[in-house]
This record gives sequence, structure tokens and C-alpha cells, in this order.
Amino acid sequence: MAPPSDESRPRLATGTRWAAQSTGGSDESRMILFPEGAIKLQGTGRQVLERCDGQRTFGEILADLQKEFGKTDPEKIRADISTFLEQLQRKRIVDY
Amino acid sequence: MHFSPLALIAELTHRCPLHCVYCSNPMQMAAVADELATEEWISVFRQAGKLGMLHAHFTGGEPLARADLTELIAAARAAGLYTNLITSGLGLNEERLHRLVEAGLDHIQISFQDSREDSANWIAGAKAHTHKIELSRAIRKQKIAFTVNLVVHRQNLDHLEEMINFIEQLEPERMEIAHTQYYGWALANRAALMPTRTQLERAVAIIAEAEKRLAGRIRIDSVVPDYYAKYPKACMGGWGRRLMLVNPSGKVLPCHAAEVLPGLPFENVRQKSLEWIWQESMSFRKFRGEEWMPEPCRTCERRGEDFGGCRCQAFLLTGDDKATDPACSLAPAHHLVEAAVLQENSDPAIVRPQPASSFVQLRKKTEELWSYRTNPE
Repeated sequence: MAPPSDESRPRLATGTRWAAQSTGGSDESRMILFPEGAIKLQGTGRQVLERCDGQRTFGEILADLQKEFGKTDPEKIRADISTFLEQLQRKRIVDY
Repeated sequence: MHFSPLALIAELTHRCPLHCVYCSNPMQMAAVADELATEEWISVFRQAGKLGMLHAHFTGGEPLARADLTELIAAARAAGLYTNLITSGLGLNEERLHRLVEAGLDHIQISFQDSREDSANWIAGAKAHTHKIELSRAIRKQKIAFTVNLVVHRQNLDHLEEMINFIEQLEPERMEIAHTQYYGWALANRAALMPTRTQLERAVAIIAEAEKRLAGRIRIDSVVPDYYAKYPKACMGGWGRRLMLVNPSGKVLPCHAAEVLPGLPFENVRQKSLEWIWQESMSFRKFRGEEWMPEPCRTCERRGEDFGGCRCQAFLLTGDDKATDPACSLAPAHHLVEAAVLQENSDPAIVRPQPASSFVQLRKKTEELWSYRTNPE
């Protein structure tokens, strides 16, 4: 158990997927579905997970979002996103 | 108060090649001749999608006994549902599995009766164990979520560590450690299935240890069995609050066991829409909310968490479907559960698996211990 490293490529775990926009979504929110559950995502959570495509590295995702939230302390952004992904990894919703 | 259903439990058939002694199917099974046709199920999935449901759980009996399973999974997926197949794996080979995945299967859940072959086959009343292991390897080659469900009880809990290690080798994302719940066959066989307090306490410690060790690799979901808990389970997340179950002949139930309740007319998808049944039917409204509750539930601060427990268990143990679930330590009828627990702890003996050359012989050899699940007509 460890937070994602900068070189890792976070992705939705096998069996986790985005719901069709017509299922429980709206313009602001989107839903991810996984065994026995679902999470509605909006705001930052959605922005993070939409970038977890298994292509981009965690470092790239971070740099991208730190630019987006320019006014917030970059280290705080790193800590928040890192914790968020680590929690989802424990639940086997995200892999990295 | 407004509730939206989140998941559909599609009990496709009550036919099953296994005879598990704790089966949760009703003892009065739906006849094969009454099973819904393919188009009728497809209509159910479309309605479920329109109602905003997110998950479809395909179960049975053994859902693989339906030759149209691939088509049904495709239809559920097309309706926007996340598809989960709950199966023994009997009737599934690599090729059929591949077709199910192509059709949109998201998640497969296989139950294991034990890590030891003789015991597993003895509990299932069928030679299924080796096939399940082979199938688990085939599943890992597919891009779908994989859960192993381990059903635990008095006869196998003593080697829980060994069972967890066994499942670890199968590499699922999730492991469910499910204590048997006493409905249908399991209630009839309760004396042979209920764990002792010592077994249970050991199991809790072993599971906590395994959760720590497997964190990030395998997620473990487990619940303390309600006979040993202080408060009852929030059965089905509350009556008519989250789930709809459609049985093989199209009857719509708020839970697996609801047909045991007296005087409740259950609607059928052949006559009524899912939406009407969810919103208007007497069967779904009867125990929804808090108006039906007796004391001590009515004024209990936990009533919004466990909803008075399970209606079916209340009825099966007390004869009153409105009674507080006797599993609750505050229930007036809690002495019924206490008496059962006391009796099951007075003799901690377990039985050795009995080899048998046929199911008929197996039944005969074990008739004093338990009765096996049978099949519908």
C-alpha cells in the first residue's frame, strides 16, 4: 500500500467503468460503476478520474491540475489527489 | 418520502446443478414451465434502466441454466445497467465466458464452498470444486471484475485461514466472506450451520489480519452474522428502499425470502410495470418507511440505520411480520435467538465430510445432519 508514484499510470480498475451519460449523470456530474456500488463524481474528483486513462502518468496528471488550480498550493493539490487515489485503490476501484 | 430503486436482482431460474445446504432460494420454487421468456426479461431490463437503476445482478438457481443468458446480459447492458453474474460456474467454459464478456458482462462472482475438495463437494452436494478452480483461472484472463464469495459456517470456519489463502491464489479483486443466513434451507439446517461463539471470534480476528495483509490487492467484504450481533442487519438496505427482485416466473419481491410472509400479494411483471410496482404496490409499501414499526423500533434512534431488521426473519422466528427482528438485542423476542445461540454453543462438534458415490447415497448418509436443496419441477 503506497500512494501513486509520479511515474505510475493510474487507471480505472478492471470492472470499473463510467456510466453512460443518461445513467445518473448530468452536465456537472458523471457516475462510475463498479461491483456492488457507484460513485457520482463532480468537480475535482471528476477532473482527476477523467485523466486516469492508463496513458498519462500521475506526474503529468498532477502538473495538469496544478496548472488548472493555479491559486492553490501545489503541494496541497498533490497531497489531496494522492490520498483520493490511494483510497480508491484500496477499494479496488482504481489501479496504478 | 421518495425512494428510487438502485439495483435489480434477476433470479432467472430456480434450476441448479448444486444442492447447497444453505441455499437462499425459497423452498417453494418457481416451476420451469412458468419461467419468463427472453422478451419478457428484456422488457424488465429496459424498465429497470428507465427507472434509474444502476446494477443488474443475474442470479438463480444457476443463471447459466438459461440458454439465452448472453442475450439477456446484452439487453441489460444496453439498458445502461452494470451487469453482475452470480454463479456456481457449472455450465460455463472459456468459450461461453468469452461470449458473455463480449455481450457486456462487467463482473462475475463465483461462490466457493470450501478450500478442501471433499468438504466443498459435500456441502454443495455436487462435484463442483475442481471446475470452479479451472474456471477462476479462465476468468482472470478476461477483462472483468472478479469476486469470490466464500460461504462460511460451523463446518468450515475452523480452517478459515486456509480458505482465505486458497482464494488469494485465485487472484480476485474482491473476496466476500459470507456467513450463512437462516432462511429456506439454511433455517432448516441451522443446527448444522450456526458457528460457535469461539469460531466466530477467531474468524473476526483472522479476517482483520487478512484485510491488512491483502490491502490494495484484494478487498474483503464481510459482516458479523446477525445472531451474534448486537443490532439487526439493515436487510436489503430497508424494505422497498433500494432493491427489486424479479423471480423466475416474474413475481416482483422486495427481497429473496419475502414470499414466506403471509397475506402479501406480490405483483408480476406480466401484469404490471416495474414502476407501478415500486411506487404503488401494497407489497413494496407495506414496510417502507416507519409507520408500520412497533416499539421499541418506533422510537429507537437506530431505526433509520437498520429499519427494524429483517421482516422475513421476524416472521419466521416469531410468527409476526411486524415484530422487531429477534436478532436485535432490544427485541422483545430476542430470547429466541439467545436460546438458539446457547444451544448451538453447548456442543461445539463438527462433522467430517462423508464420501458418497452418488447424490442419493449422500442424502441418505447425511439425512440426520441436514437436507440438501432440491430442484423445481
